[in-house]
Order: sequence, then C-alpha cells, then structure tokens
Amino acid sequence: MVSFILRRLGLMIVILFLVSIIIFSLVNVLPGDPALLVLGQEATPDQIEALRDEMGLNDPLIVQYFNWVVDVLQGDFGNSIRDNTAVTTILMQKIPVTLELTVLSFFFAILIAIPAGIISASRKGTAWDYSSTLFALSGVSVPPFFLGILFIFIFAVTLGWLPPSGYVPLTEDFGRSLLLMLMPALTIGIRLSAELTRMLRSSLLEVLQSDYIRTGYAKGLLEKSVVFGHALRNALIPVITVSGLQMATFLGGAVITETIFSVPGLGQLVVTSILTRDFPVVQGAVMFMAFAVILINFFVDILYSVLDPRIKLSGGTK
Amino acid sequence: MRKLFLFALLLAFSFLMVACSSASSSTDGNDASEGDSDNQSEDSSSSNSESKDTLVIGLDDDPPQLDPHRSSAAVDRQTFQSLYNKLIDINENLELEPELATDWNISDDGLTYTLTLQEGVTFHDGTDFNAEAVKFNFERMLDPDFASPRASEVNLIEEVNVLGDYEVEIVLSEPFAPFLSVLTDRAGMMVSPTAVEELGDDFANQPVGTGPYEFVERVAQSKIELTRYEGYWREKPAIANVEIRPFPDANVRVTNLVSGELDLLNKIAFKDIEKLKEDPSITLLEKDALGYQGIHLNTEVEPFTNKNIRQAINLAIDREAITRVVFHGGAVPAVSAFAPSSWAAPDFEQPNADVEAAKALVEESGLTDVSFTLKINPKPEEEQMAQMMQAMLSEVGITMEIEMVEFGTMLDQLSTGDFEAVRLGWSGRTDPDGNAYRFFYTDAPNNYTNYSNPEVDGLLDEARTVSVQEERKAMYDQLSEILWDDAPYIFLYHERDYKAMKNYVKGFEHVADTMVRTESVYFE
Amino acid sequence: MEQATEANVKQKIPNPRVEMFKAMMGRFFQNKLAVLGGFFTFLLIFMAIFASVIVPHDPIEQNYSEIMMSPSADHWFGTDEIGRDIFSRVIYGAQVSLQAGLISVGIALAVGVPIGLISGYYRGFWDEFVIMRFTDAMLSFPPLVLALALAAVLGAGLENAMIAIGIVLTPNFIRLIRAEVIAHREREYVEAGKASGLRDWRIILIHILPNTLAPIMVQATLAIASAIISEASLSYLGLGTQPPDPSWGAMLADGQGYLSDAPWIALFPGIFIFITVLSINLFGDGIRDMLDPKLK
Repeated sequence: MVSFILRRLGLMIVILFLVSIIIFSLVNVLPGDPALLVLGQEATPDQIEALRDEMGLNDPLIVQYFNWVVDVLQGDFGNSIRDNTAVTTILMQKIPVTLELTVLSFFFAILIAIPAGIISASRKGTAWDYSSTLFALSGVSVPPFFLGILFIFIFAVTLGWLPPSGYVPLTEDFGRSLLLMLMPALTIGIRLSAELTRMLRSSLLEVLQSDYIRTGYAKGLLEKSVVFGHALRNALIPVITVSGLQMATFLGGAVITETIFSVPGLGQLVVTSILTRDFPVVQGAVMFMAFAVILINFFVDILYSVLDPRIKLSGGTK
Repeated sequence: MRKLFLFALLLAFSFLMVACSSASSSTDGNDASEGDSDNQSEDSSSSNSESKDTLVIGLDDDPPQLDPHRSSAAVDRQTFQSLYNKLIDINENLELEPELATDWNISDDGLTYTLTLQEGVTFHDGTDFNAEAVKFNFERMLDPDFASPRASEVNLIEEVNVLGDYEVEIVLSEPFAPFLSVLTDRAGMMVSPTAVEELGDDFANQPVGTGPYEFVERVAQSKIELTRYEGYWREKPAIANVEIRPFPDANVRVTNLVSGELDLLNKIAFKDIEKLKEDPSITLLEKDALGYQGIHLNTEVEPFTNKNIRQAINLAIDREAITRVVFHGGAVPAVSAFAPSSWAAPDFEQPNADVEAAKALVEESGLTDVSFTLKINPKPEEEQMAQMMQAMLSEVGITMEIEMVEFGTMLDQLSTGDFEAVRLGWSGRTDPDGNAYRFFYTDAPNNYTNYSNPEVDGLLDEARTVSVQEERKAMYDQLSEILWDDAPYIFLYHERDYKAMKNYVKGFEHVADTMVRTESVYFE
Repeated sequence: MEQATEANVKQKIPNPRVEMFKAMMGRFFQNKLAVLGGFFTFLLIFMAIFASVIVPHDPIEQNYSEIMMSPSADHWFGTDEIGRDIFSRVIYGAQVSLQAGLISVGIALAVGVPIGLISGYYRGFWDEFVIMRFTDAMLSFPPLVLALALAAVLGAGLENAMIAIGIVLTPNFIRLIRAEVIAHREREYVEAGKASGLRDWRIILIHILPNTLAPIMVQATLAIASAIISEASLSYLGLGTQPPDPSWGAMLADGQGYLSDAPWIALFPGIFIFITVLSINLFGDGIRDMLDPKLK
C-alpha cells in the first residue's frame, strides 16, 4: 500500500511539472503585452520598456519560468497585472464561491441520479428505462450555456420566481445565497446527474447479474431490498470514483456557467483573466484548477484501491 | 454514508425553506419587479428608505486601479469621484468650478498658473492638505520611475513652487491652454503624501484621498466598500456608505437595478433605453457626453494609403441607421472629434451615406477588389455595428472582414501598427485638445493611423497657445474640415451618457464627463 | 469476446461476416432511440449540405425595418436585432457546427492515432514517461479552459477554434488507441506476423489498426458531439466563428441580451445545438451497442 501511494505521488509530481510547463508556455505565447495593458493608451515607449524590465518580461524565458516555479513553491503566485492584488488573495476569494457551487451541483446531481439510475436498472427495457436513458443523454447533450439561458428565460424572465444572476456569500445572507445559486447549480447538476445516471445504471446492471445477488434471490429476499441493500452499495463504488475523475469536466462546466450567471468564482476568473490577458492570474488560476484535478484523481485512485480489492496495487490505474 | 445523507437532507430542507420564503414574498408584493427577498422589497418602497444607508452602484467593469496616478482605465474614474477631490471641478454646463483650488490665476504668457488652495482639508489618514501636498502629487506623476500614465498630461510642467501654506505656483515649459481642464480629472486628484510614502506600491490597495468617502475594503471583481469620511471639509454626504459592484454584462446590470439589488448604474445597454424610460420605479438621466467613436485606418498600409478609399468609407456608412438600430437613439452621428456638447463642435453637417459618391470614389481610386479587416472588441453592440458596416461597404464594392480582438491585444496591435482598421473610440476630455492632439498630431502617442499633416499640426499647436475660446473654435472648425476630407479616422457617432437609478435616489448631478458624483446623492 | 461470437456463428452459418453484419444491424435497428438519432443526424447533414437551396432568405442580409420580429410565415424563426432571418441563419449554422465537429475530430484523429499506435506498440521510456504523462497533464485541465487558452493564443476564428478543440481532444484518442494496441499486440496473429518477418509498420497497419477501428469509430462519433458543444462555447465567448458567419453559439450569445423582448433569437439556435448533439450522441451510443452487445 505504501509503495503504491509513493508511486502515485511520484507520478503526481511529474504530471504537475508538465502541467506547469504547459501553462507557462501557453501564457507566454498569448498575444498582448502586459506592460501595455497596465499603462494603457497613454503610455510612452520608454515607460513601457521600463515596466517590462520591472516585471521581468525582458528576462530569458527559462529564467522567467524558473522564477515563477520558485515563487509558486513558496506560495507566491505573483500579483494581478490588472489591479495589483496578490493572486493568492484573489484565489482565496474565488475558491469558496466555486466550492459552494460544486457542493450544490453534486447535491442536485445525486438527488436526481440515484432514483433515475435505480429505476432505469431495475426496470430494464421498460418505458421507465427508456425515458431515464433519454434524460441522461439529453443532459449530456445540452450545452451548459443553453441550459443556463433556458433557466433564466423560464424562471427569471417569464415566471419571475428567481433572480436572474448574481452572488451573495453564504456568510452574508444564507438563504439568498442559496437562492442565487439555485439556477447555476441546477445547470451543472443536471449535466452531472446525466453522467451519474448512465454510470449508475450500467454499474447496477452489472452488480445485479453477479453471483451474490443471485444468492440473495435464492435465499428468498425481496427484490427491492436486494436492490437497495446490496446492489446499490456495491454499484456506488465505481460511480463515486468515476464522478471524482469527472472533476476536470465539471470545472470546465463551471467556467461557462459562472460566466452566464455572473457568479464570481474560479471559472469566471479564468475566463476574464484569459480574455484580459492578466497573465499571473491565468497562470495561478489554471494551475490551481489542474492541481485540484490531479489531487482529486490521486485520492480517488487510492480510495478505489481501498474500496475495491480486485484492483492490483502494483499496476496503477491502467 | 449516513452523515452524508443527513447533510443532504439538511440541504434539501434549507432549499425548501428558501423556495417557500421567496414564493411568499413575491405574492406579497404587487409589483412583480420588486420582491426577490423580503428586505429587498422594503428597500424599494420609498417609505422605508431611512433604514437604507448604503448606495449600491453598478459599474460596467471592475475598476483595475484605486490610485488615480496609476490609472489608465476609464472606469477607474467612477470610484475616484468618491475617494478623492480634484483641484478643479466642472459643473453641468462644463464650466470650471473651484474644488480643492478656490481660485486660480494664469500669467499673461500662459506659462505660470497660481492656485489658491482650500484651507481646513484633511486626507482620510489625518494628513493636512496644503501646498506641499500639491507639489508632492505633481512630482509623483512626473517621476519617470513611477511611470504614471498621467505623465503625458502633466509633462509640460517645469516646476511646482510652494508660495505659502495654501498657495502654489505651477510653471509650464510652453503655453498649454487645456491645462486647467486637465486638473478636473485624474491628474488633478490629490492623494495623501503620508500614505504614499508609507505604503509605496501598496497604496493602490489602500487608497487615501480627501474625498467624501473613505476606503474600507475591496474584493476584486466583486465589490469595493466605502464609508462616509467624517472629517470631510464640505458638507458631509447624506448616505453613510457606498458599495461599488462591477457587472460587465449590461443585461445583468439592468436586471439587478430593476430588482432592487443596485441603486444606480453608470452605464446601460442602449437597447434598454426605452424599457427603463417606461419603468416607473426608475429615473433615467440623459446627457450628451464628450467622447467620440469611430475607426482608426492605418494610413500606411493598403488600401488606406489611398485617400479615395478612406473617403469612400466615410461616405458609404449610414450613420443614421447605426445610431437608430444599434443605439436606439442613444447616440448621434459624428463627423468630427467634438461632441455636440463641446464648444468646439463644428457647425457644419456632412452628407450621410452617399452610396453613389462612395462608389465613384472607389472607382477613382484605381483599386479593384478592395478589402480589409476591421478589428473590434467582442461586445454585442460592436458586433452588430460591424456587421451593419460590412453590409454598407459591400454595397460600394469594399469587402470588410471582421475580427474580434480583446482590448489588451487590440492596444498592443494598435501601438505596433499590426492592423488595417480598428474600431476604437475615445471617452473624451473637457478641452477639445484632449480629443484631438494625441490622435492626429504627427507622431503623437495615440496617432495609430500614422496620419501626418503639417497643416493639422500647425492648427493643433496654435490652439494650445491661444486662450480666447472663439479663436480656438475657429481653429478646431478648420481642423474638423481637414480631418473629414483626409479621413484617417472615420468618425461614427457620439454616445449619449445614461445614468439609471431607482426613483428614490435623488440629488444626482449629471455632468457630461459621465462621472458618478456620489457627494450630493441622497435617498428620499 | 469477438472471437467467441465468431466461433458461435461459424458452427451454423456458412458466411459469418454477412451474418455478423446482419446481427449488428438488427441490434442497431432494435434501438429505436439510436435510429431516431441517426435519422436526425443525417437530416442535419442534408440540411447543411443543401443550406443554400433550403433557406428562404440570405443569412447575412439585414433589413432595418424588420428588427426583432417574432416568428411569422415569412420568418419562421423571427428576425434578430439587425433584421436578419433567424431560420436561414440557423440552417447555415448547421454547416458551421458540423464542420467544426468533423474537422476538429479529424485533427485529433490525425494526431492521436499515429501517436497512440506507436506508443502502444513500442512501449518503453517514451511511452511511459513522456507521452502518457503528457496526456495525463493535458487531461488535468478542464477541457474548456484549455480550449479557451489555446483559442486565445491562436487568435479568434473558426479555423483556430477547430485546431484548439482538436488539440484538446487528442489525448483521449492517444489513450484509447494505445490501450487497444496493447490489448492486441500479444495476440497470435500479431505474433505470427512478427515471426514471418513482417516489418513493424506493416504489422501495425495491417493487423493492429483494423482491429482498433470499431472503438475509434464510436469514440470519434461521441467526440464530434462534444466538439460541437466546444465550438459553440468558444463562439459564445467570442473566440470562435467571427461575424457575420452564423454560429449557433454566437447567435445564442447575441440573443441572451434580448431574452425578455425577443427570446426567439437565443432559443432557436440553442434548440438546434441541443438536437444536433443529442442525435449524434444517440447515434454514437447505438453504434457502440451494436458493436459490443455485452454493454447493453
């Protein structure tokens, strides 16, 4: 077990290193001069050159990369070009927002996926199964921005039940915060639930066909309790792990959803900082996202190997 | 597993509660536009306004800078109005008014400006405002190491002399008629010398001025909180707190105003003009602004080396249609750099969309298959306008491609000359010089079009030295004629400025510089 | 399992390939949703190809006297904020979307298949420590964030958006193909090929590649669906198709501002993205079930 974890840790560091190189190169080939961005239309060439020097933009790329990595390892992501705030401060402000969205989205996803998956698997081949399959596929097929706009159109514009967008921290106004998060969380949650439903269905079907469930039948246990008692618990293992592995896709969905609903989270931060060429923020935010994904994958791997003894410890994931 | 389930149940329960409470509040209120939550509907009804002590302002972007001498983004200026005082202010008729400077004298040669300062003014950190502070501020802007974007406005200053505690003398190296009007904007905003020395670069995160409100906290891209400065030298503002929230999406901004989250907007989408005018809970103020919008044509690349083509574009565009369709009457067609509200606005009119003449000019140019790429910012109004112009130009035989470029990249490409045509305007300055010199003088900092005309240079120089308005007006008229004929820049329209606020927000002074002046605002 | 079915079939029928094909088609047509998806997919392709014949109006022609008109007999889906016919734009938008889906997946295949084949066949240091770890790193990014950054680097425009999406999709194909190759390279026919002195590239092309085609096809179909969403997302954010070309994502972004006055501007393109992606997904699922009956 220990050697397995160590191996995975080593792998994680290698991947993080590659991730940092990819981010750094991407950001450095982005068109647009940060110095010019700071000084604006009224800057003189001398001022721009002076600022470029000060920002270290005239150093060789290797030096810039090395400086950045050393700073990051010390927890310093630099300062935003736009408003000079420390990137770590900005991240600390954005992370709780995206976390709230994440928790609520998973909550909705699970709320929908578990019944849908159970119904679909336990009544395989019926109209129930078909509609739940169709729902699942629809959920995967609907672009998040269209679903978001549709929600705004229905619940905010037409019915006037919900505020169209905005954000209030949980600590400031608990109820209102949840209310504002309702549509964004549903937008992501529905897509997530679609994926979970599909996974749960196939996972349940597999378990239902396995030997010990058949034994349950033979012992005369009722079908319902079989499904709920044994099958679900076993079927959930792969579902949980796979949903952990979906983290990258999930964060991608958050990017566009936060933009639509003006939720000031990580996703919106990434979009605006890429579009406004705020390089230190792009580097910091994307690095953080990738790090979160890698970390979650790491824990899921370990969790999976603990939960499912069938996996070979030495072999890694694949 | 069980704990998780319990947690889920709890969440579900709280959601239900929220849903119920919101449902009940929306049935309580008769007006559908208010009442997203209970306290909000209270705010919207004027009888309860005493309980409301915060003015919530929605801006069209997050202000990047809180330090006026570092600032280059127009949106910054909105926040500065609350945090700082300027040496001189302008009023609703665009006349100069005393603010921190109670009086000013200009020597006959136009080189020496003597300012008398207001006594009894303190910065938010307790530092006294006096002649030394003024000197400090100008030296800060002029410091080459500080690299202030303001430097270009004040670089004619040769020396700043302290004549007394409240008297200061500014000597210019050459006459510069627009100098006083420069002091009505960021270059005239005074920051606390003590705070600057203590905080250094961090000043931008903890700004200290003399304004009616002092800084409390900022959450980037979320909000800026200000509170009334109890030691303010003029009558203290009526509202205790100001909260500034950025909403880059115009729809979101307007919806939040209607629903009562916001009290005042600095900008609205033009398509919402009608809607907001009709809304009884909203006051919509309208004012001609000072800026202009148009297209920079790079006169050093094909096809714009050819004057006929530039003129053809000038004539092919139906400005009336653009202001009607895209701006819903919230803009007026432009033929010069000077908006109708400016005294320098030309009296003459120019032909609107003369397709036949434009076609003739294209033919005359001797060029065939004329095509170019227009770079625009990715905004709905920009896209609509660009597509309209694309259609108009294709009618006279000019192919225009559209490319959306983010603002930062656009500035970069403008300064390196990597463009054919760019759709970019200017927010405008009170003095006409601020709208023309920097763009059309040979090799001036913002002369992106690489336009060079000795006649224009001569006029611009001369207008800086003369201080009689009528004489300057004649020069700017002549300039407008030449620029229309040479057409290095296609003037398209002058935007009107709109300030939308809840009807209980009173006392707002709407000045053509488009600033949100919070000092005089109160709730009713 | 493929061998098993083949063996079963051999006992009864003289021509196994035809029968297998029949059985597969039977399975596909049994799946009503897949048939429906396939039908719509081909209808959309048809629409995209014959767009110029179908549309009643020029998709970029503006009519300033018919701005934001609600759906009518003349304008089935209404008109947009500068007086263009939305139905015509939506039909032309199908061209953009399908093109984006096909080309970006084509790019991913063109890059991913060779790398996956070589990586899986030779294994070793490059495979284990460079290519696989690099795909790991690529997959650690939220796909849309990576596509957004790449599109920003390359500059706005449909071609660049397709390249960006293609790059983002590539690691998935590399991994899939590599896994397939590893599964096949120990099989007898590959061993036999090696023994008879066939060159590596011939073994890869003749013996391994054909056996990986089925999963590639399924993955590619599903990837087209996600590529269409990605293109629409980039266009929604202003980095994809440039005006005046009609892209569903850009049309949706335009229309978002008019939801209360003219909801049709946003809703119709949105519905079409949804139907297109759903159809392709249903179709792709159908193909997968057809090729691999065990999963059903």
